[in-house]
Amino acid sequence: MLSRSRLLKSLRSYTALIAAPLVLAASLTVAHAGTLMLGTYPDKLFTVDDTDGAVKDKIKLEAGLPISLRLDDNRKKIYVTTISTSGVVVLDAATHKILNEFSLNTPTEKYRFQGGVPDPTGRYFYVVMQRFDKLNDRYTVSKIQYGVIDLVQKKIVRAVDLDPADDALPGGYRASLMMAPDGKTLYMFKNKILVIDVASLKVVDRIDLERADAASYEDVQLGGGVEGLQLANPNELVSLFTASDPFVHNKIFGLGRFDLTARKFTFTPIGPITNKISGLEVTPDGKYAYTTAFNGETGNKRCEFWKFDLASLKLTDKEEFKCRSRYTLGMSADGAKIYIYGASYDIEVYDAATLKYEKTWDLGADATMAGMIALR
Amino acid sequence: MKHLKPLNAKARRIDADMAAQEEDVVALQQAPRPHVPMGCSLVFSPGWEVDASGGTAGLCQPVERDIYDCYVTCFWPVQMADHVNYSADWASNCAAATKDWRSLDIVFP
Repeated sequence: MLSRSRLLKSLRSYTALIAAPLVLAASLTVAHAGTLMLGTYPDKLFTVDDTDGAVKDKIKLEAGLPISLRLDDNRKKIYVTTISTSGVVVLDAATHKILNEFSLNTPTEKYRFQGGVPDPTGRYFYVVMQRFDKLNDRYTVSKIQYGVIDLVQKKIVRAVDLDPADDALPGGYRASLMMAPDGKTLYMFKNKILVIDVASLKVVDRIDLERADAASYEDVQLGGGVEGLQLANPNELVSLFTASDPFVHNKIFGLGRFDLTARKFTFTPIGPITNKISGLEVTPDGKYAYTTAFNGETGNKRCEFWKFDLASLKLTDKEEFKCRSRYTLGMSADGAKIYIYGASYDIEVYDAATLKYEKTWDLGADATMAGMIALR
Repeated sequence: MKHLKPLNAKARRIDADMAAQEEDVVALQQAPRPHVPMGCSLVFSPGWEVDASGGTAGLCQPVERDIYDCYVTCFWPVQMADHVNYSADWASNCAAATKDWRSLDIVFP
């Protein structure tokens, strides 16, 4: 029979033997665990465990149907806009609790905007919008405007019409927005990149490059808060752009990098465009990026994942996948998985290293076009 | 053109057509495209019974996968409820259209 001290010592040894793998397993799980957040019909935000696809939170929004999601630069707050009531919702990124929620619409005053961008203080939210007023004898419809929403007063405090030349560019109020970390410069991404001085809300420069286009890619753009925002450096934006030479108009695609503070843009051509290319998902370490490209239309449509090495700016891998008629590309918080979702109630999971299909997660609710954000 | 004067009926029609293009009425597909006011009533797109090529292979499969994004964006208003003005609660009892489309509300125009 073991003495009490020997028994305790043996138990401690056994406990250590059993616990070590458990601790290791737990640490591995934690290292890969993340949470995805996406908007769902009719009025909710879902958070999804990215290890098993389980829906964790179903956050009801009184402001209605979420149409855009955006994580701020320091990954502390999530900004959501809703289309039903032109609402703005601010959530804490760690607890997923709603910090602020309001709607701009009134019975006689309505707004339309898609995504937006918060300023560095978190006090103001910048959108591109259109305003509709119901008067006694008529409706008035504004031009497309830059709008500044005061998140404390819960109202629009500034509105400036776009220059007619900028308004004529495609995009309307769905144009994507980015802001420099110093809060002095706003960028709008149409088929030109408009550089806007925040103080005056006037365009100070126009850069003649187009974002990568794809006819059946969902309208999740930079302002929607998905692509290009997973870099560690919030001052640098990386995305796919297209450009054409001024002589024979040969269209090429390449990687564009923005220094948002210095307003400096560099463009590295990769190749000619022979097919359509979606946006870009960048791994958190900034080493690799993924996009989808497709050839053909309707029943002949064939889709591929393309993997880029951002250090050498090379296309390093391709893999065909069975694509939907309409879809959105997403990525897990650790960059190990890539997702195809949208226009459905499920998420298809692919391994980022092999680009092979793994599984499908059923959410039980259709995803909105707000896109998806990955929370660490 | 201001130094040219139409002399016959065909030339007058051409002149009238050119003048009409300067008026404040433009087609939705014509560049520069007009801003579509609030609501769905001025959006005219073909229904989802066919895709852009006249077939069905390019549609979402099944089409119910696409129904909500069309509802919100007014993309196919002939078949869809108007989310913005009249039927904000049309889909409030149905989270996944493919699975429980029978729970969608009925709209009486």
